[in-house]
Amino acid sequence: MKETVQYKDLATRYGFTAPPECVARLTQLVAQSDLELEKVARIIASDKELRARLLRVANPKADDPSEYVIDTVEAALMRHGVACAVLIAMGTPLSIALVRTVQTMLSMKLEQADRRSVPVLEGEHLLARVGFAGKATGQVYLRMDMDSATLIASAILGIPEAELTHGPEVNDAVGELLNIMTGNFKSNLCDAGLDCRLQTPDVRTSEDLETPMVAGGGVERMVFRSGRIVMHVDLTVNPWNVN
Amino acid sequence: MAIRILSVDDSRTIRLIVTRSLKPYDCQVIEASNGEEGLAAAASEKPDLILLDISMPVMDGVTMLTRLKEDEGLKSIPVIMLTAEAGRDNVLQIAKLGVRDYLVKPFKDQQLIEKVGRVVTLANKPAP
Repeated sequence: MKETVQYKDLATRYGFTAPPECVARLTQLVAQSDLELEKVARIIASDKELRARLLRVANPKADDPSEYVIDTVEAALMRHGVACAVLIAMGTPLSIALVRTVQTMLSMKLEQADRRSVPVLEGEHLLARVGFAGKATGQVYLRMDMDSATLIASAILGIPEAELTHGPEVNDAVGELLNIMTGNFKSNLCDAGLDCRLQTPDVRTSEDLETPMVAGGGVERMVFRSGRIVMHVDLTVNPWNVN
Repeated sequence: MAIRILSVDDSRTIRLIVTRSLKPYDCQVIEASNGEEGLAAAASEKPDLILLDISMPVMDGVTMLTRLKEDEGLKSIPVIMLTAEAGRDNVLQIAKLGVRDYLVKPFKDQQLIEKVGRVVTLANKPAP
C-alpha cells in the first residue's frame, strides 16, 4: 500500500464510523494548551446533547431540568470552569461508545438515566476497570450488579442465563464490553491529539463503590439503563498532561 | 475442503463470537489468545485467513503482524484486523504493514461474515 494513502481514504474503505463533529471539535480543543472558554461554550451550546450533559453536571442536586439553578452553558462554565467542559468532552465519546457497543453486540437500546431513577448499587457487584495514560490520564470504572452482568454475558455470548454461572465467562464478556468501549474512546482521544495508551483491564467482584479521582482531574458519573440492565460508568480524567 | 480461519484475540468472548458467526459455513476456526500463540498457530496450521486483535498480553497484534510479514512462509496469509482501536496512527501503521481489511469492534455477525467473505470463499456447510 502506498504511503500517500491518507487515513480518510482508509477510514472510508474500512467503513469506520466517525464520532460526531461537535465531539471531535471539542476534544481537539481540549488537546490544545490554550483552551479558550468562549470556544468551548460555542461548541457545547451548538449541540443539544452536549448542552444537556453540561447542565446536568453543573446541577448535581437537581432531579429535573426545571430545578436547575445554573441554566446556561456560559454560567455552567463560569461556575465550574474548564475542568467541567473537559469531562464533558471526554465523557461524551465514552458514552457514545458504550451505547453503540450495547446496541451492536447485544441488540439492546441503552439509554443514559438519571442516577436517582435506578436502584442504588450496593454490596457485591462486578467491577471492570481500565486506566489510560499519556497526554490524557485517567480511569474508567464500569460497575453493575450480578444480574445485569449475567444478562449482558448471556446476550453477547448467545447462551441462556440459566446456563451461565458467575465466573470467567461473565467476567470475560463484561471485560470485553469495557475493552471495546474504552478502545473506541481511546481512538477518539488519540485522533484529537491526546495520545494515550490503555492499561491492562481488571475485572472482578467487589464491594468497593469508591472511584478515586485522578490527581488534578474530575469525575463524571453516568448511569445507563436497558430494561433490567443497569450500568454505572465513572470516568476520572486529567487531560492536562499535554506537553 | 474447509476454509481455515485463525482467530487471535485475548478475549474468549470474541473468539466465541467469531466461531458462532462462522458456524453455518464450511470452515474451521483455530484459536489463539495472543500474538505469540498466533504466530505459532499460523506456522503450524497455515490458515487461509487470520482475524487479529491489537491489544493483547505477551505479544500484541501489531508485533505479530510485523513478524508475520517478515516471514517468507507466512507473509501471504491475508489478515483482517478485528479490534476496538481504530485511531489514525494505528490504522496507518497497520495499513503500511499490509492488511486486507479492518473491522472495528463492536461488530455484528453479518459484518464479520461480509468482510471474511470478501477474502475467502465461504460455502455453506455440507449436509451431514
